[in-house]
Amino acid sequence: MSYYDIDSILTDAEKIPCTFQLDVPDLGYLDNTPTQPLKAGTRVNLPLWLAEMLVIANSGDIEGKPFVTFDLPPGLGNDVVQALKADPRAVPLRDQSPHFYGLAARLMELLDEKELATVLRKTFVVRASEIALHARKVGGLGQHKGKSAAEEGCNLGIGGAGEDFLRGLDESERKLFRKAHDGAKSGKEWMEGIKKH
Amino acid sequence: MALPLPPGLTHAEVAFLAEMELVTVVPRQRLESIELLGGKTPPLRPPHRTDLPLWLALLLKKQRRANIAPPPWLHPSSLSEIIKRETKENPTTFSEPPPPPARADPSRPGIASRGRDHDNDDDDGDVILSAPFRPSCTADAPAGYLPYHWLEVAESLLAHAGDDVASLGASAGEVRGLLRDLVEVRAAKMRSSTSQLEGFGGGLMSLRGVGAMELAESRGFVLGVVDGVRKTGASTEAARREEEEERGQDDDEDGESDEEMGI
Repeated sequence: MSYYDIDSILTDAEKIPCTFQLDVPDLGYLDNTPTQPLKAGTRVNLPLWLAEMLVIANSGDIEGKPFVTFDLPPGLGNDVVQALKADPRAVPLRDQSPHFYGLAARLMELLDEKELATVLRKTFVVRASEIALHARKVGGLGQHKGKSAAEEGCNLGIGGAGEDFLRGLDESERKLFRKAHDGAKSGKEWMEGIKKH
Repeated sequence: MALPLPPGLTHAEVAFLAEMELVTVVPRQRLESIELLGGKTPPLRPPHRTDLPLWLALLLKKQRRANIAPPPWLHPSSLSEIIKRETKENPTTFSEPPPPPARADPSRPGIASRGRDHDNDDDDGDVILSAPFRPSCTADAPAGYLPYHWLEVAESLLAHAGDDVASLGASAGEVRGLLRDLVEVRAAKMRSSTSQLEGFGGGLMSLRGVGAMELAESRGFVLGVVDGVRKTGASTEAARREEEEERGQDDDEDGESDEEMGI
């Protein structure tokens, strides 16, 4: 992961629901009350980079009480995890978060959730083979527009469910789709170009 | 970042490498041996079959100076047997690569230096040579096994020597159809092979028997999947390592205390 990796920067900016456990003076502006101290028990959505720092910095508190605790964002909540367990392909991850896997990986560094990790890994792998299937099917799209009815037909074949699925890919899955698509496309190009040499 | 190409070879590069494979030609004209960087080519005497690199064979074919004898695995019956094996008998694994040419005929005329190499590995018996140095696309190659460069060699033979392929007993179109089926079957396997990564611990994908062109096509995707699995599992992996290390330390301490007791 590079310093300039735009996806990791955007993952940093994802909001996490946090709860302050102590009163903090001068932080009231986080809760739209700039004149008052931030009360204990206030729930604020903080970006991941800030939440991470606050959670880590306070785990060694004297009273043993961290002054910020955080919950899993709704995108990684119980509902979504249950849906993923049922059928990973049916959940549009992009609606949960455009950087779903990045966010999940970062949060799992902070939490120890074995079950979540298992579900995520299964989700990723199952969706990956689905992605490869779609990437191969649309191999000729754009290249052969209007060439023949049969080809048009097979391109149209992925409409409906396929398109919905592709719209629900998160950023890293889109990259994966692109890679699989590029591979299939250059294979096709080579196969067509072989006659010319 | 600086390189515009993804890691690994492109399709064109793989096809270029495949041109080094030896194929068997039936010459129509005499041709003295040519000195090439890879050694001398054998002289061509019209009725005798000779092994030449694919690029030279295709050149002679285009000039109508030779016919190419297609490798036995390109025979329709061999192809349909492989398809049957891939779909019915082993629906999850790729079919085996050809066995090492330990029993290959040592007197087979090849390019001079290579010919001697073959003699050597016949003597040793345990030297397994990789793709371009194995006569896996000649007329002596075993039927029913796909060599490393199967798709490239088959496609270029079909494109440039379709009439020779048709001499096997089926039209070139039929062979092409079988090849397409095989490509599709194996591509589907490549996609589903990622599901072997599903559970923790089973982080291995077997790509044995996969051809060079298939690798070029799926490299980006497979690497992407493996990398994604690594990223999502990074924290679990770190936790597991820590646990193991702790256990290791405990063991070490035990070991030390044992030694102390011994002293």
